[in-house]
Amino acid sequence: MAAPAADDASASPGYVLRSTLSGHRRAVSTVKFSPDGRLLASASADKLLRVWSSSDLTPVAELAGHGEGVSDLSFSPDGRLLASASDDRTVRIWDLGAGGGARLVKTLTGHTNYAFCVAFSPHGNVLASGSFDETVRVWEVRSGKCLRVLPAHSEPVTAVNFDRDGAMIVSGSYDGLCRVWDSATGHCVKTLIDDESPPVSFAKFSPNGKFVLAATLDSTLKLLLWMGASRGHMSLTAAREGGWKVLTGFGDWDWALVASGLFLIMRLWNFSAGKFLKTYTGHVNTKYCIPAAFSITNGKYIVSGSEDKCVYLWDLQSRKIVQKLEGHTDTVIAVSCHPRENMIASGALDNDKTVKVWVQKEDQ
Amino acid sequence: MAVIFIEIFKLHRRGMPHAVCGGIRWLCAVSDSFLARDYPYQGEFPETIEEYLHHGTMKCIAFNRTGTLLAAGCSNGSCVIWDFETRGLAREFRDKDCTAPITSVSWSRYGHRLLASATDKSLTLWDVSTGEKIARITLQQTPLRASLQPGSPTPSICLACPLSSAPLLVDLNTGSTTVLPVSVSENGNPPAPNPRNKSADGTPPFTPTAATFDKHGDLIYVGNSKGEILIVDSKTIQVHAVIPIPGGTVVKDIVLSRDGQYLLTNSNDRVIRVYKNILPVKGSGEEIRNISNNSNGYGSHYDKLKANGASCLILSCELSDAITKIQWKIPCFSGNGEWIVGASANKGEHRLQIWDQTGRLVKILDGPKEALIDLAWHPVEPTIATVSVTGFVYIWAKEHVENWSAFAPDFVELEENEEYVEREDEFDLNPREEEAEEVVIDENAEIDIETYEKNAVFSDVEDSVDEVVFLPAIPSPDAPDEQPEKCLGSSSKLEDSNHSGSPSSMDAVQNGQAVPQVSSPMEVDNSTAEDPAEGPNSKRKRRLSVKGLELQQSEKGKKPATKNKSNGKSTKSSAKHMESANGKSSAFDDEATEDDEVNIDS
Repeated sequence: MAAPAADDASASPGYVLRSTLSGHRRAVSTVKFSPDGRLLASASADKLLRVWSSSDLTPVAELAGHGEGVSDLSFSPDGRLLASASDDRTVRIWDLGAGGGARLVKTLTGHTNYAFCVAFSPHGNVLASGSFDETVRVWEVRSGKCLRVLPAHSEPVTAVNFDRDGAMIVSGSYDGLCRVWDSATGHCVKTLIDDESPPVSFAKFSPNGKFVLAATLDSTLKLLLWMGASRGHMSLTAAREGGWKVLTGFGDWDWALVASGLFLIMRLWNFSAGKFLKTYTGHVNTKYCIPAAFSITNGKYIVSGSEDKCVYLWDLQSRKIVQKLEGHTDTVIAVSCHPRENMIASGALDNDKTVKVWVQKEDQ
Repeated sequence: MAVIFIEIFKLHRRGMPHAVCGGIRWLCAVSDSFLARDYPYQGEFPETIEEYLHHGTMKCIAFNRTGTLLAAGCSNGSCVIWDFETRGLAREFRDKDCTAPITSVSWSRYGHRLLASATDKSLTLWDVSTGEKIARITLQQTPLRASLQPGSPTPSICLACPLSSAPLLVDLNTGSTTVLPVSVSENGNPPAPNPRNKSADGTPPFTPTAATFDKHGDLIYVGNSKGEILIVDSKTIQVHAVIPIPGGTVVKDIVLSRDGQYLLTNSNDRVIRVYKNILPVKGSGEEIRNISNNSNGYGSHYDKLKANGASCLILSCELSDAITKIQWKIPCFSGNGEWIVGASANKGEHRLQIWDQTGRLVKILDGPKEALIDLAWHPVEPTIATVSVTGFVYIWAKEHVENWSAFAPDFVELEENEEYVEREDEFDLNPREEEAEEVVIDENAEIDIETYEKNAVFSDVEDSVDEVVFLPAIPSPDAPDEQPEKCLGSSSKLEDSNHSGSPSSMDAVQNGQAVPQVSSPMEVDNSTAEDPAEGPNSKRKRRLSVKGLELQQSEKGKKPATKNKSNGKSTKSSAKHMESANGKSSAFDDEATEDDEVNIDS
């Protein structure tokens, strides 16, 4: 199953299918490489999590326990623990640790609706989970105690992610907003909003934490600078940006305090002329929450699944599609990039049920 | 109002031009807001008790270098480490030898080791990652404070300040000790043990002496009972310089700021003095040797040392309470060195005063009516941890003001009313299109998603350093793996609720969990948190409740048996279950009714 790499040989990263992992009996919902790159884990609507060795792609563990389908998983930074979010409203922590095989160590209950997304902090001491109950919960990993409930959104929360030092959490939601939270205090730091605000199906920080990559259900991926826009009234202009606006606490919009109180003046923040904004399009994403990933091991790419059964790779800077990986037989709903090797894993929905692992062709 | 007047008067006495004892307006605004009003950095210091930590009786605390972990020594000889982010207990160091109350704890530079001094005259060095004891040494005297040498990542040298003798340098590997000089004679080089019988109160040969390493451990600043700061080379144990402190009274504390730029002394004359360190922070040892070698032509050795001292430290300000003249204890710098905090040494008082570097009082914090016994300022945040005599650690933090516009970007918080000026076409039926002078977004601009700036606060750390920032969080397993089976089991035993099998298995679980309870003694007033002591239990129950009503029913049926079996404890846990089943989070009144209900059921 060769990818159409030859067409634009210079630009294409030249990924080819290495292996197809089957085992899940229903749609694969997510795939993730462990931070050390040793393991690959997948979760599925069949209520199971499967863990594979990423070197030889052999099964390592099968984790059963959830009462409903599993939507998301996250490895702890040391790769020892695995957290999973399920439609049974729980978040579970599994210990893959040495000896005795994998086992369930914690069941975190509290969400009042489907737990949809989960993320370990980079220090491994805190876990964040987002749910259809519109909240983000922050948990202490050691005790399983819920530290905070963030009244995050007004629609289901589709994504949570920590920045590189664990200080910030970004959340995305069907309400069309991305919010950035101070993870230590639970305070909202910033709200990122679009003009049309299509549902946000995915959001994550860039590796350096300065940008947020967000997917919206209008088949668009957006990379936006969320920090660095200096505070102060000086930089207010009556400018209108094409895509996303970064709105901060200091009067990005001005309330028009006239009698009715309904007149709004849009005064949009002009941070560095908005030049840090990039959008990636060409794929199809209007229905499912399809995560995207940064591929930084060899060249810089944005990788995402698509509802046209392909995996798309864009050049980070030029925003051009550099490769389309074909092979799945249903919507590709999950992708993950190996932290060090040039390896991409993808998973697809019910018609397919497999996890595919793609590697760069040698001799190129 | 009288208090307010005194407050102003005090400020005035300190020569503060701002403290104009003017009209009523000021009087109303006095105290905190007065202090903050004309202060540019207002809010960069703590304002209120945010939370408290409770585990045994804690006696002393210390933050690690980055402030992610807080170590505490307890009265039972154990040490604990709190994860300061989650405020959860991360580690406990216990040993059968260590049973005496801890007097101080000290981190190694990169957090690999923790040193504890105890009242049984011992020093114990712990490996933070493994939790193992590396060394234990018993001294002649009880060390009041001990600190690891900051230079090395895995130090074995520590500086101990005993109760009533000169400070010691202790090699924890070999147990060898080196007594530091605490005074220099007027004429000769060899420091005579007790050169002056200065005053009658000096009955013991030495009063407690304070000492601290400089930033990299090259020098030791010793504050002696005569009111002098001695700068001692930590390698040669040679006194290089002497700085006489005005007043000449016993130095109780001597503390270096985190960046090594400032030094403060707390003297018996109730004055905290702040000195600017004019030696280079790095390579201070070499610099002072140069100074020492180059200074010749002084009449006496003491004069020479004094002259050396003048090129090491410069007095920058004096802090005291001119009116009440209270004694201070445990003064220290804020993480950025901009503030100085001192605690009142008055009995039963938990009061902190914060000054700025110019000596201006900026904040008074009054805590519970419990004497304060230790305090530490977070290295980065405007947060202070204090230990009260009851063994609680209080965390003082800045009060958070919710920034609503962060939530709703179209919401702007106004400080005061603003007159709205409408736009020319604002109410036109067909407003003109907005001008197209819009910013063009250059989507092709190169962006960098990988590089990040190092935290400037810790710029002194090389990248290669392997630092213990967080301790691995291995969750304490909640109910064992057989849990799901048990649910099934109990539901199958729905009819015979007094069946002995299921309650006993319940007991097993509960007993098993009696141990992990230690891991979360913190009483959280966080409304969202579950009762932590019940953590695993409640979790387990909640999960059952999620499973559905049938299971709740079965649990209910089972409950009386459980109660009989293990008395109060299981009553509690079953109540816990009920409350979770109902999806609410406490009320003891409910408990009883729920139990009654259950009894009726059975």
